[in-house]
Amino acid sequence: MDFLANCPQYIANGLANGCIYILVAMGFNIIFNSTGIINFAQGEFCMFGGLFAYTLAASAGLPLPLAVVLALAITAAIGGLMERLLVYPLRRAGVLVAIIATIGASIFFKSLGRILWPKEAYKVPEFTPGNISLPGATISRQFLWVFGLTIVSVAAVYLFFNHTRSGKAMRACSVNRLAASLVGINVMRMSLYSFLLAAALGGLAGLINAPYASYSIGLFLGVKGFTAAAVGGLGNTFGAVAGGVVLGLLEELIPGFLTVVLGVSTGYKDAVAAILLIAVLLFRPQGILGRGVVEKV
Amino acid sequence: MRKNAILLAFTAFIMVMPFWAAPLSKSIDIPIVLTMRLVGIYAIVAVGLNLLMGYAGQVSLGQGAFFGIGAYASALLTTKAGFPVWLGIPCAVLVALIFGILLAPVLRLKGHYLAMGTLAMGIVVFVFLREMTWLTGGNDGVRNIPHLSLPFLEVTSTRGEFYYVWVIVIIVLALCSKLVESRVGRAMRALHQSEVAAEAMGVPVSALKKRVFVLSAALGGLAGGLFAHLQRFIDPNQFTIILSISLVTMVVIGGMESVWGSVFGAGLITFLPKLVEALPRWFGDVPDWLEKYSNYEGMVLGLIIMLTMVFMPSGITRGLVDLFSRRRSPFVNPFRRKAVD
Repeated sequence: MDFLANCPQYIANGLANGCIYILVAMGFNIIFNSTGIINFAQGEFCMFGGLFAYTLAASAGLPLPLAVVLALAITAAIGGLMERLLVYPLRRAGVLVAIIATIGASIFFKSLGRILWPKEAYKVPEFTPGNISLPGATISRQFLWVFGLTIVSVAAVYLFFNHTRSGKAMRACSVNRLAASLVGINVMRMSLYSFLLAAALGGLAGLINAPYASYSIGLFLGVKGFTAAAVGGLGNTFGAVAGGVVLGLLEELIPGFLTVVLGVSTGYKDAVAAILLIAVLLFRPQGILGRGVVEKV
Repeated sequence: MRKNAILLAFTAFIMVMPFWAAPLSKSIDIPIVLTMRLVGIYAIVAVGLNLLMGYAGQVSLGQGAFFGIGAYASALLTTKAGFPVWLGIPCAVLVALIFGILLAPVLRLKGHYLAMGTLAMGIVVFVFLREMTWLTGGNDGVRNIPHLSLPFLEVTSTRGEFYYVWVIVIIVLALCSKLVESRVGRAMRALHQSEVAAEAMGVPVSALKKRVFVLSAALGGLAGGLFAHLQRFIDPNQFTIILSISLVTMVVIGGMESVWGSVFGAGLITFLPKLVEALPRWFGDVPDWLEKYSNYEGMVLGLIIMLTMVFMPSGITRGLVDLFSRRRSPFVNPFRRKAVD
């Protein structure tokens, strides 16, 4: 009975976490669409977003909205720098080389984060502190910001890809890069744009994931964001939304069920995303919303 | 013939190492023989991973899982079930091999998906090692693991452990270099180039991938088993993703498609922190940032990986060999995409 009584709380928490995963997953999708690689450093963008917001708002004392915008700009710049210095030179390299190179970037960023922000956790100020009581659940006001900003970001990304020239050009790159370059699209510039955008989205995920940010969140957020992207079908914006929500809910409900009903340790929570990822990749690799892909030889 | 000569020369080099290394260790203040035991262990896993990743072209970011499974298998069998160590280590290989067979379906994935799938596999194994406290002791780990041993002989000295480990490493190296030169080795390289072409030439692609995966898992288990008895204390945090990623680093830095490269990579990654730690003892005053090298280790490794990928994608050893033999430019990426997709 306890489990059912707690359900609204699990669902509220799950949705809030799911929103964070959606933002990270969209970053994976955008980069995958325009360059064909999976950016293993995507989680580290979240780390930078959160920690720069902390430094600018809490340490440097800037007003919060300004700090947030600056943190996003810095994170986007880091993403752009990574594209120019690492991904661009490797544009003709195979998948294996690209994977390992972005892993190298991820290790580098994480270590840099640990040097600049050595403590285990930093408290990023909440946008509007306080809680709201709903029947059956208490949610923090920050959750409303998380929901709102996620909806705005999804809508903005959708509009960008469907109603602007650059967005359409980026979609063209994802369909066929050679053909895109033949009709005059600068494929390499699109790759840069995709890193700027993905880094900013990752940074946003990191800084609204309040209250705590730390150098070590990158890997786990990265794996969860990728899981959300894979569950929804890699490269698909609405797939990312579905995947994020599914993952967020399962991650709260399954451990809740195991702990309350079966009395198993909550530590297994960390394995939920990984198991879901393996299951989806093995049994439905095109994702729950995706269509099958035929491999061309 | 040349390959045999290299192997013999290397064996001779290793066998006399403790004799010349002892005085050298004192003068440079780095425990060479002590560190070399670990190099040997990492070399075993790295060579296994290189068969899978460098030769067969299947990325694995979860190799640390098999290392951990092997370490726990031997540690638990010797401490709880009373097995002698010389029997515990073969059992570790067997357990890792069984897990390899069970987890082999992950090989149905390709490219990025395989990388993420194996990463997830590593996370799952780590979480289970940490949470199954009734078996593994959870975060408290397993203590008082017995020393390495042979039947009727316990190996406790550093020098003894060195020989114990390196005799096994040399056997593994000899077998693996034979394997990659054989028909199977050529089939592996063919499947790396193009699975479809390999299949068309009669290579049983998925069976072969599976066998290489299981072999690399077994080598991971062997190394893990040895590791448990050298450290004599293990806990789940020694077998995280960080371990898997440093194993990949060893392979990449040493050079893909190179058995000897992996040994070099293992040596470089293991000795690098010791070397930097020793700097203040050599020069007295070093800049503040050098003293806290462990904080910077990730940055240095990340930078090495990125620079290697951009400038010498075939790895440092292969790159240097090519540079001196002038057979081909070391800066050309052998894994180029063949056409714009």
